[in-house]
Amino acid sequence: MSQSINSLLFEIKSDEKLDQNPKLLRVILTKEYTRIDFGYTTPWYYEKGGWINISPNSYLKLDDADKKYHLKNAIGVPFAPNQTDFQSIEDWQFFTLYFEPIPQKDCILNMIEAIDPTPDDFNYYGICLNINQGVKIC
Amino acid sequence: MPINKNAFKRYKVIDMLLRNKMRRFPTLAEITETCIEKLDLKDLSTETIRKDMEHMRESQPNGFEAPIKYHPTNRGYYYTDPDYSIDKISLSADDVDTLKESIDLIKSIGGSRVSEKFNNAIEKILSTVLEEFPEGDSKQVFLQTMSPPKSRGFEHFDLFYYACRKKIPVSIIHYNYQKRIFNSLTIHPILIKEFENKWYIIAYSENHSEVRTFGLDRIFDPLLLKKKFINVEKNVLEKATSSYYGVLPIANQEKQTIKISVSDLVTNYFEAYPIHESQQISKEPNGFSIISFYLIPTMELTRLFLSYGKDIKIIEPSWLIDYTKTLN
Repeated sequence: MSQSINSLLFEIKSDEKLDQNPKLLRVILTKEYTRIDFGYTTPWYYEKGGWINISPNSYLKLDDADKKYHLKNAIGVPFAPNQTDFQSIEDWQFFTLYFEPIPQKDCILNMIEAIDPTPDDFNYYGICLNINQGVKIC
Repeated sequence: MPINKNAFKRYKVIDMLLRNKMRRFPTLAEITETCIEKLDLKDLSTETIRKDMEHMRESQPNGFEAPIKYHPTNRGYYYTDPDYSIDKISLSADDVDTLKESIDLIKSIGGSRVSEKFNNAIEKILSTVLEEFPEGDSKQVFLQTMSPPKSRGFEHFDLFYYACRKKIPVSIIHYNYQKRIFNSLTIHPILIKEFENKWYIIAYSENHSEVRTFGLDRIFDPLLLKKKFINVEKNVLEKATSSYYGVLPIANQEKQTIKISVSDLVTNYFEAYPIHESQQISKEPNGFSIISFYLIPTMELTRLFLSYGKDIKIIEPSWLIDYTKTLN
């Protein structure tokens, strides 16, 4: 089911037990971009919390189509090869990725940072967007 | 005597008519009619307009020293100085001093952003008057309160103020320092609260199904939402505004009596700076005192008690005695 073009916000409920990191928090669909918000907390197993960046080749893909929606901008996280070095295992970072706009319709969304991902890559599969559950933004 | 807002609106209309070169010498009746029309009034007497013009003629600071005269031949009113307008009136020295004192006070209390907005508004007023002020304003500061550096999240103050006023739900990203967890929440803001230079938003949280307090420093990218606002009952708001010392209530605790035994030294501080409207001090002959409060216990209250070390001992309730031990 599709809906007329509005800016729509989806709160993503994730299972705390999954220990997803970065945690996917919100998806916002507009006619100009698709925005995804993440929260990252540094893990104990990296010295001083390690580092983060995002591949500029990251993209979104709907489950039922081949088209790629490319990453256009990132706020709070640098494009690779640059990186943000943390200072402790108690650090945290909120960041936002802006992709090309996806169609506003019920869909299952995948975010791909690496085609053959390692555990350190930010790949997200099966983000369900039910367009009727989107809340309009002022 | 201060000028009321309605009178000032009439003065503006009178001023406009007396400056109109296309239709000179308006009569009392014409001025009255125009005021009724322009200001959307139900009725207005010519006597009121006559008194308004008398008031405009008065010298500053009460009036505007408006050179209004009646022209017998043309049977209407006019300004003897054709360049005169009440818009060109400068503020008196007292007005300017008062405004500048206000700026200092707001700067001192409001810290950064609030004072910035206020300052800009006042400076706009000052810049429209003929008074000249020394650049840099090198005068000595006579008022100082704690004004810490700009804190994270305070940039959202305007958005939350607007959301509270207009009753607009807000989507926020919230980071919990203790649990180290990010969450996406939808909140319905009720009140912005400041405590010890930290700013909080008190709001109904859809995700928690209750009113919660969120530190502005832990909120990221708030977005106004087009959805129905959930109002909370009046008593919930009262609870949040007057029943606490601080902002973070201890879970599952209602309003209750809290008694502490306080040393003679620290009693002086409580006497000088009561922490809650319910505070009652009962002094012992040795200078020690029993101080009681009737409020909802908060994290800030327990921290305050602990900060005085051996000078404060909690007498009741017993659960609070145990609770503070866990914080040591």
